[in-house]
Amino acid sequence: MNRIAALVSKEFADLRHNPGVFLPALLTAIITIVLPFFVALVVPAWTGEHLSNSGDLQVAMQMLRTQHVLDGLDPEAAVQAWIFQQFLPLLVLAPVAASMSVAAYTVIGEKQARTLEPLLATPITTFELLSAKVMGALVPAVGLTLACFAIYGLGILVLAHSGAARILVAPRSLGMVFVLGPLAALAALQLAVCVSSRVNDARSAQQIGALIILPLAGLLVGQLTGTVALTGGWIAVIAGALVVLNAGLMLVGIALFDRESILTRWK
Amino acid sequence: MLAAAHLTRRFGQRVAVEDVTFEIERGEIFALLGPNGAGKTTTLRLLAGLIEPSAGEVLLGGHRVAQGNAARLRARVGFLTESPGLWDRLTVRENLLTYARLHGLPLPGPVVERSLATFNIGDRADEPAALLSKGLKQRVALARTLLHNPDIVLLDEPTSGLDPESAHDVRDLILGLRDDNRAVVLSTHNLDEVDRVATRVAVLRQRLLALDTPRSLRERLFGHRLRVVLTGHAGAFIPVLRAGGHPDVVADDNTLSIGTRDAMRDTPDVVRLLVEQGAAVVSVLPEEHSLEDVYLRLVREGAPA
Repeated sequence: MNRIAALVSKEFADLRHNPGVFLPALLTAIITIVLPFFVALVVPAWTGEHLSNSGDLQVAMQMLRTQHVLDGLDPEAAVQAWIFQQFLPLLVLAPVAASMSVAAYTVIGEKQARTLEPLLATPITTFELLSAKVMGALVPAVGLTLACFAIYGLGILVLAHSGAARILVAPRSLGMVFVLGPLAALAALQLAVCVSSRVNDARSAQQIGALIILPLAGLLVGQLTGTVALTGGWIAVIAGALVVLNAGLMLVGIALFDRESILTRWK
Repeated sequence: MLAAAHLTRRFGQRVAVEDVTFEIERGEIFALLGPNGAGKTTTLRLLAGLIEPSAGEVLLGGHRVAQGNAARLRARVGFLTESPGLWDRLTVRENLLTYARLHGLPLPGPVVERSLATFNIGDRADEPAALLSKGLKQRVALARTLLHNPDIVLLDEPTSGLDPESAHDVRDLILGLRDDNRAVVLSTHNLDEVDRVATRVAVLRQRLLALDTPRSLRERLFGHRLRVVLTGHAGAFIPVLRAGGHPDVVADDNTLSIGTRDAMRDTPDVVRLLVEQGAAVVSVLPEEHSLEDVYLRLVREGAPA
């Protein structure tokens, strides 16, 4: 564990000295925070129409009935709450997707800078190395997500209809932010690091790592169109699948990380 | 202490190292010489436990190093790779601190501060590694290599690309390692460096072509020779020397080169014969072939000496 901490601390120091690499993640996070406010508050104010009058949003009312935390909300607040909740997966995934570039570059970067051989000459194990590389990208990404969630909540509390912020403490919302988000992030970043140790180009790792995001992005779209209802049960099932996937990815990552090939074939 | 026993490593069909056997003791600087692609770096990686041999074994204190205990070997080995391999954006101190922690040192901070002082890099400790000169980077890399106080130090071309002053500094540090009673394995192309620091030399071209002290290698390949400088033309004295029992004599202008079997016995005899014949002797010295001569002969001939 000390070696993981040592390498994670090195990764953080590297980010501290080069904060620009997290700029895309930061920009994406800002956009994902602003976007729901634009849809839920700015557009209705601009057009002078209430969201609760829209026939398209009646589906929202039906879905909200399953979340008791919103009992007693007036219709406008309820629709706003629905919109804010629908955008939560985007808020959770955007920083992860953006931090994928950090994870994808992590092993390839060491190869290119010729810093991997001295590192492998220490007693560090492959598990420790990969864990540290994943944590080095995961912790800032999850930290950014949580910071975004806090700002998001504060924004809803201040700007939205009274009571709409209660949606953020609904089990479904909390499950997405604190369970699904970190687990999906872990899987995506593990895959990126895994691929990073096998390919010679960071872009390949980034693109393959993004495959994890695709099904989750599909969920987001499904939710927005009303095709999928991400209930507590579904969150539990997806979380379970992600736990299994993460364990499998770590095992695969260790098996694929071929120290010898990295040292002898990669120039 | 550290031994290679019939070490062989293949990469697919290509044989990088074949049947290499040697042993290295504490207080020894063991130089690996060989042309590019001769298997020097592969041998160092095998010794460091970074790659596994296809056949043969690496022995540490008599115990075989295998995949299961390679981490234990790595804890005892300091490996200076061909490239300094510093994290450019991190400061010198951060680079060293990370490695001190990776080696599980109980007090990494004080160890790093001592190392910065020992290697005289304290004044650059808070600068990013990217800003250092090549010589300073190599010094930091050497400091990193020795942070965990390894008793076996593997150095892959430590002075490659350094200016003469930096190379001299690094050589002094290498001699310091020997004085600290560590076992040092040095891979290099710099024959002069080997001559200055190595206690033993292994010439490698996939197989081991020769293994001995630099002096013994010279003697085995070129024998003992005396170089006698006279004031006048030397050729006139060849018949006298041959008649006196020294058949291997060549002359070049005012210099004689005489093959000897026993320098202690033959040198006074050669001088006596020359002086008796009226030669004015300016100097008598053992004729030294350079290590380059030794190396080139071994590599060109390719057969084990």
